[in-house]
Order: sequence, then C-alpha cells, then structure tokens
Amino acid sequence: MLNIDRRWIFLGIGIVSIVPFFINFGLPVTTTMEVESIFDYVNELGPDNAIFISFDFAPGTQAENMPMAVGVMRHAFHNDVPVFMTANYPLHHGMMLAAMEYVFNPTTVGFYQEVFFDDWRDLREAGVTGKYELIEAWENQGNQLPDGAMGWVFEGRDYAALGYAPVFNLVILGMTVSIETQYPVDAHGNSTGEMPMLREHKSLREIDLALTSSGSGACVWWVTYAREKIGLPIAFGLTAVMATDYFPYLQSGQVIGQMGGLRGAAEYEVLLTENGITPTTDKAFTGMDVQSAAHILIILLIIMGNIAFFAGGFHKKTLLKGGS
Amino acid sequence: MYDTIGIWVGAFFTLAIYSFLYKENPIYRLAEHLVVGISSGYAMAVTYQITVKPRLIDPLLSGNHWILLIPGILGLLYITRFIPKISWLSRYPIGFYMGTAMGVSFPLIMKANVLRQLEGAMVPLYSSGMPWTEVLGNIVMILGTLAALIYFFFSKPHKGLFFGTGSKIGIWVIMLGFGATFGFTIMGRISLLIGRIQYLLGDWLHLIE
Repeated sequence: MLNIDRRWIFLGIGIVSIVPFFINFGLPVTTTMEVESIFDYVNELGPDNAIFISFDFAPGTQAENMPMAVGVMRHAFHNDVPVFMTANYPLHHGMMLAAMEYVFNPTTVGFYQEVFFDDWRDLREAGVTGKYELIEAWENQGNQLPDGAMGWVFEGRDYAALGYAPVFNLVILGMTVSIETQYPVDAHGNSTGEMPMLREHKSLREIDLALTSSGSGACVWWVTYAREKIGLPIAFGLTAVMATDYFPYLQSGQVIGQMGGLRGAAEYEVLLTENGITPTTDKAFTGMDVQSAAHILIILLIIMGNIAFFAGGFHKKTLLKGGS
Repeated sequence: MYDTIGIWVGAFFTLAIYSFLYKENPIYRLAEHLVVGISSGYAMAVTYQITVKPRLIDPLLSGNHWILLIPGILGLLYITRFIPKISWLSRYPIGFYMGTAMGVSFPLIMKANVLRQLEGAMVPLYSSGMPWTEVLGNIVMILGTLAALIYFFFSKPHKGLFFGTGSKIGIWVIMLGFGATFGFTIMGRISLLIGRIQYLLGDWLHLIE
C-alpha cells in the first residue's frame, strides 16, 4: 500500500474529476460572510459609482481567478456601475481581454452587448453621455438589443479596458492622483481623456472599490498603495493556495471581503443567480461537484495511507520509495 | 476556423503536459519549452505594443515630448549589461529604480503589513454585548499569535511554563495553519484540473455545456 504506483492515484483523481460532469450530484454551495460582504458592497453601487477590476493572474490560475473577475464584472454591468480594468503583467493583460470576450460573447448565457468606443462617437460628441439617455438615443438610431443579452455596455461609459502598465505598484500610486496620466490611452488605443467615465472618475479617490483577482502576492499592492494611501476599499479574489496567507488582511479590516479559490467564485455565482443578476450559475459552480468528489477520494487516500503506515510499523518507512 | 484550430492546439498541449503523469516524454518536454518561449514572446510583444510604442516611441516621433528621452535613454542603459566594457552603465537605471521604489514603498509597506496587522491583533478579549463566539475567537487569535511568536523566539531555551509551554502551543498553532494551507492547496490544484477538464470536455469535445 505504501509503495503503490502513484499513477494509480492520478488515474483515480482523473476518473472522479470527470464522472461528476456527467452525473450531476447537485451538491449545495452555501455562501460565506467574506464573499457575501463583497457581493453586498457591489450590490449597493450604482451608475454614479465606479469600480476597478484588476486582472492579476496568468493562464495557469485562470480556472480559479477568471470566474471571480467575470462574476464581479457581470454584477457591475447589471447595476450600471462603470468598470475600469487593469492588469499588472503582460500575460495578465491577455486574461483581461479573455474575460471581456467571454462576457460579451453572444454564446455566453446572459451576455452583455458591447458597443465600441468609436461606434457611439456621434452621440458622445452631441453630449449624450449619461447611461440611460445614451441607451435611449442608441436604440432610437435603430439599434436593437439582441435576444438573450442582459443589456448594452458602452466602451468608455460602462467600462474602460486600461490593461497592462509596467511597474504596476507605482501605477497604482500614480492613479491615486490621476488615472489619465497613467493610462493616456486604453488597451484598444482609445484616448482615455475622451471617456465619460474617466471624466467623472479622475483618480482612485473617486473610485468605490478595487477587486484584485490575483494569482500572486501582487494583490497586496492594492492594499499598500491604494488602501493605505487614500483609503480605497479593496476586495481580494485569490487562488485557494494563497487564501490562508491573506485572511489576516480581512481580519484587520484592510479588505472588505475575500473570495478563496474556485469555492469563493462558486459562492459569488450562487449569490448572482439567487438575486436574479445572472440567469444561471457558471463554470465555478459546475466544478464544485467535481471538487467534492476529488476531496472525498483524497481524504480516503490519506486515511488509507496512514493506516498502512501505522499498521506496517514506523521502521517500514525506510522501504518507501526514495528511502535508503 | 481559427477558433477551432486554437482549441485543438490547446487540447493537444493540455494532454501533452498531462502525459508527464504517466512518465517523462519528448511531447511533454516540447510543451514545457513552448510554454516558456511563448510566454516570453507574448510578454515582449504586449509590452512593446501597449507600453513602449504608445508611451515612448510615438510621442517622441511626434516631436513634442523630448523629456521622454531621459527615461528612454535610462532604460536603454539596461542593455549595456551585454557589452562588458560599458556594462557598469546599467547600474544607473538599477540604482534609480531601487532608490525610487524603496523611497516610495517603505512607509506604505510598513503601514500596510506591520502597523495595520499589529492594530488588527489588538482586539478586546471581552466587552459588553459581544457574542461569545467573538470572545472565543479573539482569545484564540491573541493566544495563538503570542504562542507562535514565542516559538520563533530563539534567544531563550524553550523550557519552563512561559517559553516551554508557549512554544509547544505555538507549534500546534503553526501546524493548524499548515493544515489549513494544505487543504486549500489541494482545493487549488483540483480547481486547476477542473478548469482543464472543462476545456477538454466542453470546448474541445462538446460533451458538456
């Protein structure tokens, strides 16, 4: 037992990770206070507010971090809260673009219809920049919301894809004075100075929340350079591996809430669906059955390994693979 | 068409990486090297496209922002690392960056990671109207913090009631912390596997939604 070929364990994990996708157990996901606090905070915001979503993760942790960022993004769009999107590394910039592609893709259930910055230039130049008057004027031009879309999202009014900028900790610090000086143009080459949402929210002092969906310690930059300098409320979306390390920031009140791993993302999806913000839960929730099945197998393996170890006597440990 | 090709390429390299679970093989090696190479290439391209070009080259070519020559030249000095005779010049941008970063960061990092954490640990053990769960939580947190700190206090032997018992409690507290981290780590690793399986079964094979 102690010398079982590890490939059998990999095979077992593989099987229990695939089967639940076909046999839906429907295990419930209960929500926790640290995720609810983020949801409640975003839920209180409206068109006069604005938030930052920082894509601080690479493709390696996309499975965990992406649903968190997407969940908060959809929540903000639903409540007409303008969203600034940033990235602290070139690879993370690609994750930001991928999140937008997912939320704006008509094949995504509950997608948002994107309107590019140049497409509504005439309305902008005519002074129509308020969200609701903009929708009315846009639809009066003959544009119709596609079936299944949750609403219109205007680039520059509802979101600004600012993207990557080097030495991001100093960029955060710079944005406490002016967002435009740090990002004269967005990721699509649009002038940020012409964006209504940037005219209304010139610096981080006029922002209501920054969510960092992070796969590295860079999430603390937001606490250090924004929370501590100007008091900007911060929320963490972290990989499960990081979660325990960052609970102290929650306990000290430096962050308003924390989503930990796929479980945290699934909780946010449940809250979105229960409150009618999204029609269905998404990928994180789907993965939770698999997560539970895999955890049960791992617990069984740990118990069996311990039984075998103690039943065989401590001296047998030298027979373990790698022992001398 | 391009999406389909991309999904097939992604599926191939996912399976190539997982083939390592059976045993090391050339396909895995190929995938591993491509990850490193493509990541670096992508990072360089993005940095040039959205940083160097719009923030340095374009403004300089427009002829209005000559001040950018200073950071531009300072940045170029990094490259002198590759020319041994003048490699000492690279110390200037490094020195500038280190000095600036330290000066800007030090007070804020102290505040965020030390002072605020100390403040967060200074909670009342009891006050009227406080629920018993919070009282218990505060006691556990304060005693746990003190015990863990005693464990890492090496200037006195870990003997006696204070240092001996304190360090023993400390090691238990630390072990509990490691246990929680281990549990979260397993959850994280399984989550990444779930992400890949969703890609293979959903995006690639269309067996699940």
